[in-house]
Amino acid sequence: MADVRTLEAPVVIIGGGIVGCAAAYYLACRGVRAVLLERSVIAAEASGRNGGGVRAQCRDRRERRLAMASIKLWEGLQAELGADVEYVQAGNIRLAATEERMAQLVSEAEEELADGLQVEVWDRQQLRRRAPYLSGAFVGAKYCATDGIANPILATWAFAQAARRNGATLLTHTQAVEVQVERGQVAGVRARGPQGELKIETPFLIHAAGPWTPELALGLGIHIPVEPARSVVVVTQPMPLIFKEFVSSHDFGIYARPARKGHIHIGGVTIKTGSFDKEVTLEAMTHMARSVLMVPALQKANFLRAWAGTLAMTPDRVPVIGPVDGIRGYLLASGFSGHGFCLGPIVGKLLSELVLEGEPSLSLDDLRLARFADTPTQP
Amino acid sequence: MTPEREMVQAEVVVIGAGPAGLSAALAAARAGARVTLIDNNHQPGGQYFRQPAVELRVRKLAGHQRVGQALTQRVTAAGVRLLTETTVWGAFEDKVLALYGPEAPEFIRAQAIVLARGAYERPAAFPGWTLPGVMMSGAAQILLKSQRILPGQRVVLAGTGPLQLVVAAGLVQAGAQVVAVLDGSPLLRRILFRPLHNGLALWGQWSRLAEGLSSWWTLRRAGVPFRTGWGVLAAHGQDQLTGVTIAQLDDQWRPRPDTATMLACDTLCCGYGFIPATHLSRLLGVRHEWQPRRGGWVPLRDRHLQTNVPGVFAAGDCAGIGGAELAVIEGELAGRAAAAQVQGNGLNPSHEDAANGELERLRRAMRREQRFQQLYSELFTPGPGLDDLARPETIVCRCEGVTRAQVSQAVQSGADTLAMVKGIARCGMGNCQGRICGPLVATLVAQETGRDWAQVGQFSVRPPIFPIPVAALAPRAEHPSN
Repeated sequence: MADVRTLEAPVVIIGGGIVGCAAAYYLACRGVRAVLLERSVIAAEASGRNGGGVRAQCRDRRERRLAMASIKLWEGLQAELGADVEYVQAGNIRLAATEERMAQLVSEAEEELADGLQVEVWDRQQLRRRAPYLSGAFVGAKYCATDGIANPILATWAFAQAARRNGATLLTHTQAVEVQVERGQVAGVRARGPQGELKIETPFLIHAAGPWTPELALGLGIHIPVEPARSVVVVTQPMPLIFKEFVSSHDFGIYARPARKGHIHIGGVTIKTGSFDKEVTLEAMTHMARSVLMVPALQKANFLRAWAGTLAMTPDRVPVIGPVDGIRGYLLASGFSGHGFCLGPIVGKLLSELVLEGEPSLSLDDLRLARFADTPTQP
Repeated sequence: MTPEREMVQAEVVVIGAGPAGLSAALAAARAGARVTLIDNNHQPGGQYFRQPAVELRVRKLAGHQRVGQALTQRVTAAGVRLLTETTVWGAFEDKVLALYGPEAPEFIRAQAIVLARGAYERPAAFPGWTLPGVMMSGAAQILLKSQRILPGQRVVLAGTGPLQLVVAAGLVQAGAQVVAVLDGSPLLRRILFRPLHNGLALWGQWSRLAEGLSSWWTLRRAGVPFRTGWGVLAAHGQDQLTGVTIAQLDDQWRPRPDTATMLACDTLCCGYGFIPATHLSRLLGVRHEWQPRRGGWVPLRDRHLQTNVPGVFAAGDCAGIGGAELAVIEGELAGRAAAAQVQGNGLNPSHEDAANGELERLRRAMRREQRFQQLYSELFTPGPGLDDLARPETIVCRCEGVTRAQVSQAVQSGADTLAMVKGIARCGMGNCQGRICGPLVATLVAQETGRDWAQVGQFSVRPPIFPIPVAALAPRAEHPSN
């Protein structure tokens, strides 16, 4: 039997994605030196493999206020973290190819404006004037100028680096294997890493391991209705800049956005669920080529490379965040359903507040696991 | 699969029409299989049999070119469907290959695939290696063989291996001034070290020895200095190469500073050996093993040259550097096995018995070539000193302009895998998809993290493995009304 290294930490974070790294950072800023466990490397999964969209528009109302608060953080992030994360507020255009879709966007706009999010509704003529690079297939669009994009890997990495600088310990290639609970209170986490077994005694656990969260939580008798889904992004060779916005269409199931050097990232809005498989399929590539129906100039582009990632989906496509009834010290943040990149900073911050103050500055009540009432959550 | 896409069913698909691929296609066709042979060049032949451009209307072909032409004629006469200028940019489930070429179907579903993609040249990053005028010897050879163009007037060759002599002799014959040929290997010492062992490995390699000798003689007559145990440390020039710093090297290829001197030249041809082309085999799910003696990562194969993926065979340099003779033999073995498999004979012993004598002969020849290859790689593998030539500001990833310092910085900031370094520093994200910078960055990451190449791994491979026009996949029937 090999020696088991024992550590103590005020907080353990499982998952080296943007949520985990942001939580480690905001805790470290306030003097709490968390230990973060990542089974692979920082930003290895959805945080490093998404489309890089940072948007508040076209979201579920429960997410909207979080996204708006997160964008406030994003605006100051490069200065705060001391890193270039390629963040720009280049605008976000959600397109409508049918009158039904347009009606949906119009009513969504009313709700968004009521919540204080500045959006514009464009009819066909306005769309043509404001975004002449788009095909004539659309009857209109909704536009949000304060939405933007960032580089997923660099942003997650910047949080990890800043957390480290401020005293957090990030253990990569280290897999959490068991959460220990004593008398209804988190007591510790067992993990396996390059140096062997590890036991970390802690009163707080932030569990932000994406689609791998449910497996470990099951050991605590917690059922988290999160399942994996594959998303694919295809990137073109750099081309002359013809647009700057993040444009998407649910009718075509596609989004496209430029990156800093002129590459266009193209991804699918619809994704295959139930799979941890990260293969880039022929179907996915053919689907992304349909982006020419949205942005005709892509006819002249070349696909350069592609990647696939695994997202964590909930039944209502809204994340599960917050404490879980019955286990004190256990904080959940998973099931971001493809929306986690933008939300990462604010969720990390709110988790740090939950640890420090027991109460977040923005309510997370409607995002708690308890909302899936018909699924058993008691140990 | 969208219905408008063209999907062709095929029996044996051979990818790469060099020595291994031509030989595999011929063997499979002769065994009665319907064969499709795919190559991304204008003409079949690969690098070894590379033909002059058709437009040049060359009458008198060089020796290898004649052999290659004759082999190609036999291949077409055997009924092989040849698709040139065709890129295989992806491989998907169920042995579906995605093609891009003027006459190629968009997708082809193969019953058996013979990978014969060959190899590409091992890059070396030294100060100035990205200057115009610095090239791989293979590029110089393409200019000579295919276009009949001289890469420059005053040429230095650096690297290791007899191929450098062959290229140098070709340059001399074409009218260039070859300033010097430098081979980093302490050649004579190593040959004399085990004369009996080496003699045995060389026994039977008469045509190779003759070619080497004839190249050497050409250089000798032209008065070209040939220095073993010497190498290039840096290339100089503003926007064109004007000279190189050379020095004597120790056994580990580390330069002796007191011997450093300048040579004026306008062209530097580097030849540091070869790396098997494994992008496609990796995409197909083939298991690979780290075998530095055979060029790096090589696919694992059984005695029929089949990989762990049923119906996927690998032959020639893409399965481990072995040269053209070995490639031809392996191609024949793999082609026969692939044909037997699609004909439903499996790879069963009774079928094998029928061709027993022939297969035995081929396997003997293969072993002889492998013996030679062993010696070859012992003599002509660059030492670790080559990896230390890059300075902090030297570019290691050309496509994205990433320097050695940026890679080191990424590692020091905590990126401990190749994928993470790629994500942060962008190396490997460009047009070559890591083919050039992959080995260089892997070496640096291995050095910085104190691990070996095998542990550092490779950039992950996903389609497209070569850039392809979006239009090739875009819907054609619908026309956007904009």
